[in-house]
Amino acid sequence: MQLSKILAITLLGVFFIFLGKLILDDKTPSSNITGKPFPQFQQLTLDGNSISHEYFIGKKAIVNVWASWCITCLVEHPFLSERASEISIIGINYKDDKSDAVNWLNKNGNFFSTNIHDPIGNLAIDLGVTGAPESFLVIDGKIVSHVIGELNQKKWEENFAPYL
Amino acid sequence: MHPISRSFIYFSIFLSFAIFSQSQEFIFPNQEQEDRFYLLTNEIRCPKCTSGSIASSNAPIAEDLKRKVYEQIIDGKTDLEIKNFITDRYGEFADYRPSFESWNILLWIGPGIFMLIFGFLFFREQK
Repeated sequence: MQLSKILAITLLGVFFIFLGKLILDDKTPSSNITGKPFPQFQQLTLDGNSISHEYFIGKKAIVNVWASWCITCLVEHPFLSERASEISIIGINYKDDKSDAVNWLNKNGNFFSTNIHDPIGNLAIDLGVTGAPESFLVIDGKIVSHVIGELNQKKWEENFAPYL
Repeated sequence: MHPISRSFIYFSIFLSFAIFSQSQEFIFPNQEQEDRFYLLTNEIRCPKCTSGSIASSNAPIAEDLKRKVYEQIIDGKTDLEIKNFITDRYGEFADYRPSFESWNILLWIGPGIFMLIFGFLFFREQK
């Protein structure tokens, strides 16, 4: 066989191997936290109470990363409010001023079981968060599923409903 | 003085302060740590951006990760420990220098193997 033919076949083979890998490897390139235990932390809630990762042991909850400056958080707020009757929703108030966050909750409604105040974003980094909003399904202290961006009916059914 | 000239002077002063404050954001006890910081922040991909390192991005998450890299260098962590900290949270995607394992091995040694095979075939055909 001619060298050019071998070269062409090999290059095509390599191309299809990488194309197949690209199509099959359908993972979100921004978080590596799904399937792992909720990261260890010890922080204050917006109410000023202490909270740690042990809070999630034996519980099923949605953890929602939000901020008063986040427009998309306001968009998903009514949807989360509806879900709050089915499952406990824990907020992580992300890189926000405490008084702004409290005012935002008073204005828009507070369905959160509690809100962890994360003013520097350290807990969010431990969760692989890239910005607000993001949501996690946590079952017995383990992160089962993760949604980046607005949580809506479609994403709920695809990512969270199968585990509930 | 012409108002435009005065505005230009004010703007220049503002810019100088902005550049000064940027360079003073991270202060290192020695040059070696500062060099490691610039190397690492150029090798860690910004997880929020389409492409680009955290060094080249002003996205809030990139700023936060630069702060984390800085803190860990000051804490005496090794480059590997810092890279692992990032990839544990954001996946292999966040590392511009992929590890020598799994599918990545093909990326590292593939070109060399192809060169050898085609070199061998080329010289055999020449004979």
